[in-house]
Amino acid sequence: MNPRSSLRPLDVVIRIAIVGLVLGTAYIHSTLGGLLFTLNALGYLTAAVAIVIPLAIASRFRWFIRLGLMGYAATAIIAWAVQGPYYTTAYIAKAIEVALIALLAVDFARMDGNPVKVVKAELALLGSKVGRRAAAGSAGA
Amino acid sequence: MKRILLAVALVALAALSAACASTGGSTPPAPSGPVVDGPTIVAKDLKFQTTSVEVKAGSNVTIHFDNQDSAPHNVAVYTDSSASSAPAVGEIVTSAKSELVVPALQPGSYFFRCDVHHDMTGTIVAK
Repeated sequence: MNPRSSLRPLDVVIRIAIVGLVLGTAYIHSTLGGLLFTLNALGYLTAAVAIVIPLAIASRFRWFIRLGLMGYAATAIIAWAVQGPYYTTAYIAKAIEVALIALLAVDFARMDGNPVKVVKAELALLGSKVGRRAAAGSAGA
Repeated sequence: MKRILLAVALVALAALSAACASTGGSTPPAPSGPVVDGPTIVAKDLKFQTTSVEVKAGSNVTIHFDNQDSAPHNVAVYTDSSASSAPAVGEIVTSAKSELVVPALQPGSYFFRCDVHHDMTGTIVAK
């Protein structure tokens, strides 16, 4: 896996749009009141920070943050589809989340490539690390 | 890669379509005939201040809803707490009042809730 680390102008535009959409749906959820909606808004705020924060560990796992945010938004859409409520503000929030998923998918494709290959490569890397640690542990015993 | 992107888009669209489809089926028709004035239900601090109200059985009844919260609420009347069948669903309003005309109910106990905050519930008794 060779994720691209340098940002092109279009990448910056996409990233700004993603943050804007995340903040938009976070704001809508923060106005709804109640613990669940407030936690949902806080989750989106955290994701907005994680998607752009210039920390080495965040950059290394940006692929995971993108996938996680896509899953988070998809879960919010499905939960709403199941239990509602169906009114104008909710439709706006869900339209934002659909656009967010689409932009995250584009961002992923541009920065990381094929998600299946990325996940396979990361799992292989994790497996080799665990294997090395187990081998070192048994050699030391 | 394109197939994955397409799948993501299709899943999102399917979820939205399902939601839109279910909207059409959940709005009960407006009752016809004379309507009698009914109780007022107040929402404040993410709670219904009135959790049990009485209405006249066999008559269409207007329920007055006063949402004093800055959060959106409504009053939706269901036959029971499973919330699967709704004789009347009120408009979702924020910091505003609204009215809901409930069609003539048979004597008995009915469930009402806020469709935005499902933990806000109450009982309507038709006598």
